[in-house]
Amino acid sequence: MPRRKEVFRSLSAAEFFYRNREIAGFSNPSRALYQTVRELVENALDACDSHEILPSIYIRIKEEDPEKSHYRVTVSDNGIGIPPQYVPYAFGRVLFGSKYRLRQTRGMFGLGAKMAILYGQLTTGKPVEIETSPLGSRYKYYFKILVDIKKNEPIIVDQRIRRLKRKSHGTTVSVVIEGDWARAKNKVFEYIKRTAIAAPYANITFVPPEGDRVITYTRTITKMPIPPKEVKPHPHGVDMEMLKMLIASIEANTLKEFLVEAFQGVGEISAEKFLREAGFNPNMSPKLLTNEGIKTLMIKLKNYKGFKPPRADALSPLGEEIIEAGLRSVLEPEFVTAVTRKPSAYSGHPFIVEVGIAYGGKIKPKDEPQLYRFANKIPLLYDEKADVSWKIVSSEIDWKSYNVDFPAPLVVLVHICSTKVPYKGVGKESIADVPEIEREIKNAIREAARKLRLYLSRKKREEEAKRKVLTFLKYIPEVAESLALLSKPPVSIANGDGNYLSTDDIKKMLLNLVIAKLERADIKLDFNLEDFDIRIE
Amino acid sequence: MTEAQFYSVDYKQRLMAAEKIHEIFSKLIEQIKEGKNPTLVFPKRTLSNTIYDAKRKLLLLGSELQRRRFLDVNEAKKFMQTLLMAKIIYESLINNEYPTIRDLYYRGKHSIIYRDLSGRRREENTWDEQKESDAVIRDIEVLTGLLREDMLILSKEKGKLVGKIRLRSGGDIIDASKMGHGAYALEPTPDLIEILDVDADFVLVVEKDAVFQQLHRYRFWEKYRALLITSAGQPDRATRRFVRRLNEEFRLPVYILTDADPYGWYIYSVFKIGSITLSYESEKLATPKARFLGVSMSDIFGEYDDSGKLVRPPYLGVKERKNYIIKATPQDIKRAKELLNYKWFQTKKWKKEILTFLHKKVKLEIEALASKSIRFLADKYIVEKIQSGWID
Repeated sequence: MPRRKEVFRSLSAAEFFYRNREIAGFSNPSRALYQTVRELVENALDACDSHEILPSIYIRIKEEDPEKSHYRVTVSDNGIGIPPQYVPYAFGRVLFGSKYRLRQTRGMFGLGAKMAILYGQLTTGKPVEIETSPLGSRYKYYFKILVDIKKNEPIIVDQRIRRLKRKSHGTTVSVVIEGDWARAKNKVFEYIKRTAIAAPYANITFVPPEGDRVITYTRTITKMPIPPKEVKPHPHGVDMEMLKMLIASIEANTLKEFLVEAFQGVGEISAEKFLREAGFNPNMSPKLLTNEGIKTLMIKLKNYKGFKPPRADALSPLGEEIIEAGLRSVLEPEFVTAVTRKPSAYSGHPFIVEVGIAYGGKIKPKDEPQLYRFANKIPLLYDEKADVSWKIVSSEIDWKSYNVDFPAPLVVLVHICSTKVPYKGVGKESIADVPEIEREIKNAIREAARKLRLYLSRKKREEEAKRKVLTFLKYIPEVAESLALLSKPPVSIANGDGNYLSTDDIKKMLLNLVIAKLERADIKLDFNLEDFDIRIE
Repeated sequence: MTEAQFYSVDYKQRLMAAEKIHEIFSKLIEQIKEGKNPTLVFPKRTLSNTIYDAKRKLLLLGSELQRRRFLDVNEAKKFMQTLLMAKIIYESLINNEYPTIRDLYYRGKHSIIYRDLSGRRREENTWDEQKESDAVIRDIEVLTGLLREDMLILSKEKGKLVGKIRLRSGGDIIDASKMGHGAYALEPTPDLIEILDVDADFVLVVEKDAVFQQLHRYRFWEKYRALLITSAGQPDRATRRFVRRLNEEFRLPVYILTDADPYGWYIYSVFKIGSITLSYESEKLATPKARFLGVSMSDIFGEYDDSGKLVRPPYLGVKERKNYIIKATPQDIKRAKELLNYKWFQTKKWKKEILTFLHKKVKLEIEALASKSIRFLADKYIVEKIQSGWID
């Protein structure tokens, strides 16, 4: 397995995030508890997914101090681990990861996890505890870290190293935060359940504070999504700040060189062509661009039609097989299907829409479709009614035409993966009505729903056939008994002689007729007349 | 008479009927053995398949056939009911029983208890109402060509007979002229009656029991050498069959006397050509030569020819008419309009009768003529009408 180093860059933002904790989902103890679980679990899964390690995730919430509502949230993974020299900065300072190479990940390189650490420190004063063994290492590193909020520097409270008997890898992060389990409970359970749906290739264990109700989701598939590749940004997807950053960081003597180096799908010829049409000198140094010039360049880049569409290599869809396995193992439906659409793009950002449909079985019938939304493999639990998927599922798909009559046991999963998911608002819990995405979702749902319709109509046919069969079966005893008597000549009945068919003989013959009729209709049913327990009183 | 002799007529009939039933239903076993869907084929008993044979003057079943298959969701239950009924009838024949149709209904009423597809316990009766079991009896009659009487099934009979006729029934000899003020009640199996001798010139069938009794006490049958019969309303099968036998075996003319209203006229047509619901029995039960004696509209209002000239005066004066006639009900009017559509009522005379009724919108009961005086009814009205004035 290739070892890939993550490149970290620092950014003084600890205070900024502290002041904006509402945006990051730490507005109250209940939401914060949910958000903490979420951030740690997502990091844990990313640590495995990106290196194609089948994840085993352990989550525990423990009541640390009942009087103060302090909870310890611990999440362990068997991922790649973190090199010890990076640990203090990875957890004790608000950082940005290797930016400006794009690829789809769940979280933004631990930014959310750092919010959880900060939140915990601010509400309980307790340091974050980290235990990690990097891939290939024989050591386990243990840290206790506090964040110096003003300086945005880690304070190492404790640090230990332990030699392992056997090579192992993975990370355990444990934070103590102020939480409200009673309120967060439902969302946390739901979040873990949905996470398990999107990751049937993972073993997930959850020990809630009650302790007696351990939830486990066992791996049902060993196939994993193909990890995303890093790609350069597409010129259509660029913004001002990003462009400035690129100009500052890329060594290029000319604008032409800069474009080829900075963006995907831009060669020397297309760069030259674009710059001439946009009115720039291809040979000028990018560092000489004024603010005004950068702005013009950005607008021209965004609107130029000559670039190739963005590449989808940066995306990592779950794939139909995984979606089906996830829905099947967690929901235990009678029918499941999934559709992964071809990559598409909006405003220079590639995206892929995936849809899964699960029907019947252990799914409880509801008056509306039950929507499970995911963005970059993360379940979205809040603001459902504001989401573009809800609009489509609830009012734009005519479920009746797919043989679904509500109340129905119907679950629709919609997964959107993109290097830039167009969230509505800062909460990042619902997706905006981007026409390109909306169209893809609709097509994907229709495609999946057609398969459902096929299944339902076949099921209906079979049920009708069964009902028919029952009509015949229930009359067989009465018919057989009548025929047994009617087929004996009057004289032989009077004398009680002769060798004629018994009621049971005729029953069997009639049953065979029914079976033969079914076979002609290409329907196979295993049944015994006894199963139907037909009695006559 | 010994017991053996008492049953001997019945016994032959029983065996014949049982053999027939056995023969018909054994075919199903053959079909099943060949892997075919067991199917009963018989003429459809529907209004659309009821045909008026103008030549023979009979209501008959048409040629449309019905196929009742077991492996047909819509027919399976009926198929089961038909076999169940056939079995019960077959058993009764063999066990020397005389069930009524009500008995058959109760005997075959079972609950079928089963589990449905979701495993729930369900209950279904072989039949719920007697209507259902009666319908399959009719199907079996059509299927086997045996009438219920032939299968020794009894029904409640209300027909009565007086007159100079001697019969053997159930081993006893009956003289219908020696019944006192009572009368001989026609039995449900008229074909098992042996008619020993008849001393009469015609048969008079009276719809109303009360009028029958008045004529009987007046000894009308003795005075005019008649066999007097009442159907006491809508005629049952035994009465119709017995009238038919008198007409067929002894060539006695048959006259029908009913109320002057569409219901009375339909009673006449049932005697004469058969009923719509039991058209398959017409061959045996109808008396195509029966004549309608009255009461007709022209008896009340007089008969006029096409030019409007009075040809036959009415039997009732203007004042009597006022006292006796009754206003027709909406149902009477509706029924009269239905009669107009029946092919067998589409003769000139009958059309005139029905149209007069629809025009005058009044009806008259036979009792009215009797209350005028029994002598008027017996010695004048009936006698005159037999001589001339009956309608075919």
